[in-house]
Amino acid sequence: MDVLRFALRKLLAGVPLILGVTLLSFTLMVHFGPDRTFELLGKNPTTEQIAELRHQLGYDQPFLLRYGQYLRELLTLDFGHSDATGEKVASLLARSIPVSLALVLPGFVLGNLLGVALALLAASCRGRWPDRLIMAAAVFGMSISFLVVIFVFQIWFCTSHGLDLFPVRGWGMADVPDYLRHVTVPTLAVVFVALGYNTRFYRAVIVEEMERDHVRTARAFGSPPLRLFCRDILKNCAIPIITRITFTIPAIVIGGALLLETSFGIPGAGKVTYEAIISGDQPVLKAVVGLTAMLFVAALLVADILYRVVDPRVSLE
Amino acid sequence: MSRSAARDAGDSPGHDTLWRLAAHKLLRDRAGLLALAVVGIYLLAAIGVWLGWWAQEWALITGSKWGPVSAEHWFGTNIIGQDIFQRGIYSTATAFQVGLLVAVLAVAIGALLGAVAGFLAGGWVDEVVLWLLGVIDAVPFYLMVAAIAFALADYPYSMHVAMVSTFWTGTARLVRGEVIKLRGLEFVEAARAIGVPGVTIIFRHVLPNTFHILLVKFTLVFVDAIKSEVVLSFLGLGVKEGMSWGLMLSESTLEFLAGQFNNLIVASSLLFGLVFAFNMLADALQDALDPRRAA
Amino acid sequence: MAGTALLSVRNLTVEFDGRAGRLRAVDAISFDVLAEETLALVGESGCGKTVTGLSLLRLVPQPPGHIVAGEVLLDGEDLLALPERALRRLRGRDIAMIFQEPMTALNPVFSIGAQLGTVLRRHQGLSRRAARARALELLEQVGIPEPARRIDEYPHQLSGGQRQRVMIAMALSCGPRLLVADEPTTALDVTTQAQVLAEIGRLQRELRMAMILVTHDLGIVAESCDRAAVMYCGRIVEMRTTAALFSTPHHPYTVGLLEAIPRIREERLADLPVIPGRVPDLAQLPAGCHFAARCPRATDLCREVVPAPLPTADGGLVACHHPYP
Repeated sequence: MDVLRFALRKLLAGVPLILGVTLLSFTLMVHFGPDRTFELLGKNPTTEQIAELRHQLGYDQPFLLRYGQYLRELLTLDFGHSDATGEKVASLLARSIPVSLALVLPGFVLGNLLGVALALLAASCRGRWPDRLIMAAAVFGMSISFLVVIFVFQIWFCTSHGLDLFPVRGWGMADVPDYLRHVTVPTLAVVFVALGYNTRFYRAVIVEEMERDHVRTARAFGSPPLRLFCRDILKNCAIPIITRITFTIPAIVIGGALLLETSFGIPGAGKVTYEAIISGDQPVLKAVVGLTAMLFVAALLVADILYRVVDPRVSLE
Repeated sequence: MSRSAARDAGDSPGHDTLWRLAAHKLLRDRAGLLALAVVGIYLLAAIGVWLGWWAQEWALITGSKWGPVSAEHWFGTNIIGQDIFQRGIYSTATAFQVGLLVAVLAVAIGALLGAVAGFLAGGWVDEVVLWLLGVIDAVPFYLMVAAIAFALADYPYSMHVAMVSTFWTGTARLVRGEVIKLRGLEFVEAARAIGVPGVTIIFRHVLPNTFHILLVKFTLVFVDAIKSEVVLSFLGLGVKEGMSWGLMLSESTLEFLAGQFNNLIVASSLLFGLVFAFNMLADALQDALDPRRAA
Repeated sequence: MAGTALLSVRNLTVEFDGRAGRLRAVDAISFDVLAEETLALVGESGCGKTVTGLSLLRLVPQPPGHIVAGEVLLDGEDLLALPERALRRLRGRDIAMIFQEPMTALNPVFSIGAQLGTVLRRHQGLSRRAARARALELLEQVGIPEPARRIDEYPHQLSGGQRQRVMIAMALSCGPRLLVADEPTTALDVTTQAQVLAEIGRLQRELRMAMILVTHDLGIVAESCDRAAVMYCGRIVEMRTTAALFSTPHHPYTVGLLEAIPRIREERLADLPVIPGRVPDLAQLPAGCHFAARCPRATDLCREVVPAPLPTADGGLVACHHPYP
């Protein structure tokens, strides 16, 4: 009951955020955005035809009314039809979002797990050569552009100039081998590009925690190092780790997937977004922005509830 | 007794000595100095381009299609016979233009808004800034860029505007936190007590004390900006005039299958070198400027 | 005071990496702790008393700290030469520690029952259930009200005094032979201080433990210690029984410390004598006796030659060229 009331209060607190995001994106994309009147009309349209179409498109209505319309679309999850393909936006997204999740999640999970493992290794050898090697490799990895990683991996794994093991483009989730064939190279790219950042982040968090008094207490009472790292310190680091993980999820579903999907030709939400950006497909963009903002608020909420679970000092009040 | 004497001995070092100490530490940090030298070489290359000393023939067709590496074309030519090395060097100037412009503006805006919010923490100004930070962080970066590109139509700097308007938030959060910490310190309270106006306090007493954060943040935003430029240009949302590493990489996708890698190699190596040097520099600065990291 | 040495520290030397090179925080100190006695390590902050306490169990953070020389003999076994694994079995079981800051010394994200239970299961091999029952007993023993409720609470829900009692319960849980208490009451308010000290003393007698009490507070030394080692800049300058130390201090530094204790009926606080000068920087320690620059009895000899610890008539030690009689 407490948790439920807490969740409701948090969701209410998220309303100004969603309003802000939608207002900002609506103003930029729709209010200042391209006028499609003459694109849709034939040559030499009459004044009536113009007025008629502008009315159809809603251009003649006041700003606030059109914005209110957008909010209603967001609440009902009914965003109308895509300008480019005429497909219903809702079904377009329902089809493409699962693809993006299936594409990005393995790399995200692996990248974080490996990051924590490497960070623990580095932190436990602080100042000695394994630490230095891992941290130098992390900066090295951080300095390589995601785009270059994708290209090099494509050339290396997917073409006759390299191993030629996987398809360069395309997607399939019909069965497990099919999925693995298509997801492996993108996953490797995601892990490679995220690992440096993750390792550095987790190492910093762990090292800070290692210096706390209670770690000394644990050592003074005979705690073995492995247990110290994997139980005591990790649980204490949970808050920054949760923050990082929950807040990167909304960003990677769209942002991370966008580059991967356009490069590998995968029909996920990122590619849909990219194509909508390029063609100025406003109904799709409005839906993507609105949903991402809602996802962001949901991530805030999940993070807040998880904080409560891992740290008794955080109360629901 | 002498316990109070011991406390006197622990008096905090002044601001001046902090900087001198930082410079001293930086000068002994060999990796940091090397990084600084590499950034300097890149900067020199960019200045040369701006002054018209070299890489001015980047747009001219000076060779045959996919010409080989030669004395005339150090890294060969591209699909229509332009010199790849010249294009790479010319793009260095683009990278610096994007990086400097975005980093300076984003850090300045972030510092200003962060300082004001922190100074007035708890008030409505702070609330508004926090709300704005939340809003901007909740919009995916590519969509922000696209939205601004829409709004600004064919304005050539729409990418820069988009980066500045998203990259200032990190600085603002950091500075806000730092200012809240500084606000409670004696010297700020003393200034307030003798009636120094808030604006003066912010500019004269508070912001200078966050300068070490801004310097590190500047290097990090610079790196973010050039990395983003590459991706955005590849996606067709970035640099519209001139040449950039992102455009070269975009061009290179037409060449992979034919086994032509010169564009990819030149653009990605130059990009990597600059980003790596900047990352190392950021680390060295952080080490040198963090008072907690002694020795 | 007769008894055999439980713990012998010989020539313990600890250094830290500082900005200006290695600093010597503890400089070749030697002392014994007899069974069941309480030895005070007393001195100003920075004199090396806490580092000494931590070094006994090799708990000095490494880097920047390095134990560069010395022996810590427990029943003739050198703890400094012990492999890490063997030392871990000993930590908390044979030698237990209590730390200064009860706020931060306990892990904030585990309940106190879980933290006590972990130690009990590790060293006593108790089952989960038995460990919980024993933890309850311990909490009761150290005077925590309503232990059945408190056992599932987290450190932040307890007061400072209660937290320190939990720390004591943890230290006593495995019946150690030696307790190292590092400023156990400094962070507590005055009334709680007295209670917690009394509690430690009572339990020490009951469990027949020896104790090293690290403190800067001479009042605590007078009240609860059998012997005291006065430290200055990493060296022991005088080590005597408490009674002897307070009645006939030999070392000028000890004399200065004792004179600086405010007494009731002292006319004005301004008359309180103060040791002139300040503690020297560890990075720029003078040659010879470290206290020479502040000492009223110093001569050229003091500034050149380190005074060796010499036995006193009552069986103590003093390291001074010109001690008070």
